[in-house]
Order: sequence, then structure tokens, then C-alpha cells
Amino acid sequence: MVNILLACSSGMSTSLLVSKMEAEAEERGMEATIWAVAQDKAAVDMKKADILLIGPQMRFMKKKLQVVADEEGIPLDVINPVDYGRVNGKAVFETALELIEKNKK
Amino acid sequence: MNKFMEMLENVLMPIADKLNNNRYLTALRNGFMVALPLIIFGSIFVVIANLPFLDQVLSEDAYAAYQSALGPASAATLSIMGLFVMIGIGYKMVEGRGGEAIYGGVVALASFLILTPQVVEGVGGVIPTGSLGAQGMFLGIFTAFISAELYQYFVSKDLTIKMPEGVPSAVSRSFSALIPMTLTLSFFLVIRLLFSFTSFETVQNFIYTIIQQPLTALGSGLPATLLAVLLIQIFWFFGLHGQIIVNSVFDPIWYSLNDQNLAAYQAGEELPHVVTKQFIDTFIVGIGGSGMTLAVIIAIMVVAKSRQMREMGKLGGPPGLFNVNEPVIFGLPIIMNPLVLIPWLLAPVVVAAVTYFAMSTGFAPKPAGVIVPWTTPPLLSGYLATGNNIMGSVMQLISMAIVFVIWLPFIKLLDKQYYGEELKAQKD
Repeated sequence: MVNILLACSSGMSTSLLVSKMEAEAEERGMEATIWAVAQDKAAVDMKKADILLIGPQMRFMKKKLQVVADEEGIPLDVINPVDYGRVNGKAVFETALELIEKNKK
Repeated sequence: MNKFMEMLENVLMPIADKLNNNRYLTALRNGFMVALPLIIFGSIFVVIANLPFLDQVLSEDAYAAYQSALGPASAATLSIMGLFVMIGIGYKMVEGRGGEAIYGGVVALASFLILTPQVVEGVGGVIPTGSLGAQGMFLGIFTAFISAELYQYFVSKDLTIKMPEGVPSAVSRSFSALIPMTLTLSFFLVIRLLFSFTSFETVQNFIYTIIQQPLTALGSGLPATLLAVLLIQIFWFFGLHGQIIVNSVFDPIWYSLNDQNLAAYQAGEELPHVVTKQFIDTFIVGIGGSGMTLAVIIAIMVVAKSRQMREMGKLGGPPGLFNVNEPVIFGLPIIMNPLVLIPWLLAPVVVAAVTYFAMSTGFAPKPAGVIVPWTTPPLLSGYLATGNNIMGSVMQLISMAIVFVIWLPFIKLLDKQYYGEELKAQKD
């Protein structure tokens, strides 16, 4: 079971990615909760997440959110712009799993 | 080229970071977010109250009765939006400092009301609703900032009455707010008194004359507007969310211009401003997202031969209808792509200038002050934002044509490059 949180300015464009990532999780037969929020809600929702991925257009939020992520002990990453543009759910999902795995060690 | 790009990004990132993470601007943005559902509720009823042809179908009396029956919906929300914005700001400011947020909301409201003249044409015991809307917007914002900071400062100084143990926490909380609240509100009472000795008479009047009027006059002009539009594009070119950064500075100006148009629209008078919140949200950004990329997608669908471009068009089309265009911006890609820099910067600026002149000369209607959610598809949004005027949609259509023409040669160029690469890959 993985919980993946995505955040962008209003949670609109990242929600495009959510459905693609859910499809990828289903294909792998994995149980995953994936959801997108506006940047202001990210700090609160991080409590329920194993990882936070932020849209590249909001990468200037990274520094601020990193503090919260460190407190929660979860990894945070900026989504690769190319994967973001192509709405490549598979690649983003894989990256998320890798980062969660790495974080466990 | 790469060096130069890196240099620019190094300049822009800290600006974006500062503007977006500044506690005052964050509270301001969140304050507007708090008010947004109310603003949209009010807007919906302005639209319903001014449905086309109704004035011709109904008798004059029936139409007036219909309008006044729906009037309170916008009078209680959209017209006095400053009130909700300042409560939101006060709340978010204190929340940001880790205090009890609701007191931030009420201290902002009470401080603002202390500064507000409570007499209208000699009649006492009233609060002029005008001062709760556009006119009081700036005072409301400043008051919310200052009062919330003062309140939280006094709380942090531990100027609170300590209750003995065993007193229910709710009771002790209500007392703990007492001294900081008293000090903060007294401060604003003194301010009000001091201003009553000046030629401005009220703080309301002072802020309006000294700050709000010059700023909105500047912000409603074409140069400042073109600059704002250009900045949005430049930030986005580096893959940074342009609007959210520029809005945090311009929103107070654009919203108060919007409210002035609304007041004139509801009074049946000539609309004073072209540039308003809706001018940007509906007639520039609202045509497929920042950079007005819906017309770019259409250009791709019309001329592109490469698989990569056509895929992009299919992927970006549906969200683009609702003004979500990150797939195009990051996928085409537009970011950091020198090939499309010219149309990316040029098209919105040209459209802004053309729209400005079309509205100033009366060819197209000015925004009526109705707030249309930014995800409303273009054409429909132009119709609604101008108070149910089909010429608003026509204006958007013209703008799309302009974007289409400016982008077409560049799309062909990009497509040729991709198509060549694809052919080569096939041969290999």
C-alpha cells in the first residue's frame, strides 16, 4: 500500500497525472492511494502520504515544503518536466516507488 | 544560450520563491481564496439577474421586481468581498504564526470596522456597504495585516491572563485573547482619532486617496497590464507558475477595479475600466491557459505531421478546453525552448493590446465585474464575464485567431524538425 501525494498551484494539472498513475498501479496489481492538492494544502496532507511530488512549475515551493517533509520523514521530489508534460503516469509512478524504497533504507 | 538561460533562471527562481513564500502575500492569496466561493455565488446571481431578452419578455415592473428579488445574493457577497478577504487574511496570518486563527479573523474585521466611518449622509448607526467592497479593499488588506500581526505579537509577549489549573480550556482561551484583543483594537481606535484631526478625516479616505487610487490608476493602464502579461509569460518560459506569482501582487488592484465595474454595471451606468480581474482571467489567460495555448493546439491539429506533435495536441486538447495547459507547456515543450520564445512572449501581449483597444473603443464590451471561475471554457467565459454579451465571445474568438496566426509559422518549424527526426529514426 503506497500513498502518493501530488501538489501544484491548485491541484488541477497534477490531477491529470493522478488518473494515469492510478492506471499504472492497477496494472501492477498494487494498492495505491494517489491524490492531488493545491500547494497550500500540501503541508497538511503530507501526514497521510509516503511521498510528496510537486509539479515542476511550483518548484520554488520545494525549499519550504522540504522542511515539512523532513519532519514527516518522507521524501519529496519535483516531477520531471518531460514526464509532466507527457502526463507519463508510468514514469512518475516508478520514480515515486523508487524514492519511497530508498527512503526506507 | 544555455549559459544565458541558466543565469536568468538564477535570477527568477529567488523572485518566485520570495513572492510565493512571503507570509503577507501568502496570506493575501489565501484571503482571496476564502472569499472566492462567495464571489462566485454572487457572480452566478448577477448572471441570472441579467439574463438576455428577459427585459423584453417581462413588463418593466416585473423585470424590476425580478432583479430586486435576486439582488441580495450579490449584495451580500460579491459587492462586499473586501470583508471576506480581510477575515481570510487575518485568519491565515495568525494561523501562519501558530496562533488561534479565528481570533485573527475577528480582530481584522473589528479593526477595520473601527476605521470605517459609520455615518452615511448624517444618518448614524450604519456601515456604508461601498466601504466593504472595492473602496475599502486596500484599507481592509492593510488593516488585516497589521491587526493580525499586532494581536499575535501581544499574544506572544504573554500579555495574557493566566487562569488557575482546572479552569476549562475553552474558558481560559476566551480570556487569553482578551488583552491582546483590547490592545490591538485600542491601537486602531487611536489611529481613527488621529486621522479625524487631519484633512483626510478618515483612514478610509486617506488610504483610498494616497495608495489605492494611484495604484489602481496605474494598474488599470495599458503599460502596467502589458508588463504583467509579459512577466507571466517569462516566468512560465522558465517553467515557473507565472500567474500565481504575478497575481499575488496584482490581485488587490484587479479585484478592486472589478468591483467598481460591477457597481456601475448593476446601476446601469457606463463601465469605468477595461483592465480588471476578468480582463486577465477571461480574455488573456482564460483562452486555454497561460499563453492562450488553445489556439496553439488548434494550429498543431491543423498543420502538424509529426507523431510527437499530434500526440501533444490530443493530450493537451481536453484539459486545454478548461484552461489547464501544463501538458502543452511542459510537453511541446514551451519551457526553455528558444524556438517558440517569440510567439510565446508576443501573442499574449498583442492580444492584450488589441483587446484593450477593442474594449476602450466599444467594439467589444468591457468586463461587467462578474467573476467567472478560471476553469470555465473560453467563449462561454467571455459571454458570462461581459454580463451575458455575445460580443465577449467574439472578442475571445478574434484573440484565438491572433494567437493562431502568430504561432503558425513556429509550429510548422517545430513540426518540420520533429518530423525529420521521426523519419530518420524510422530509416535507422
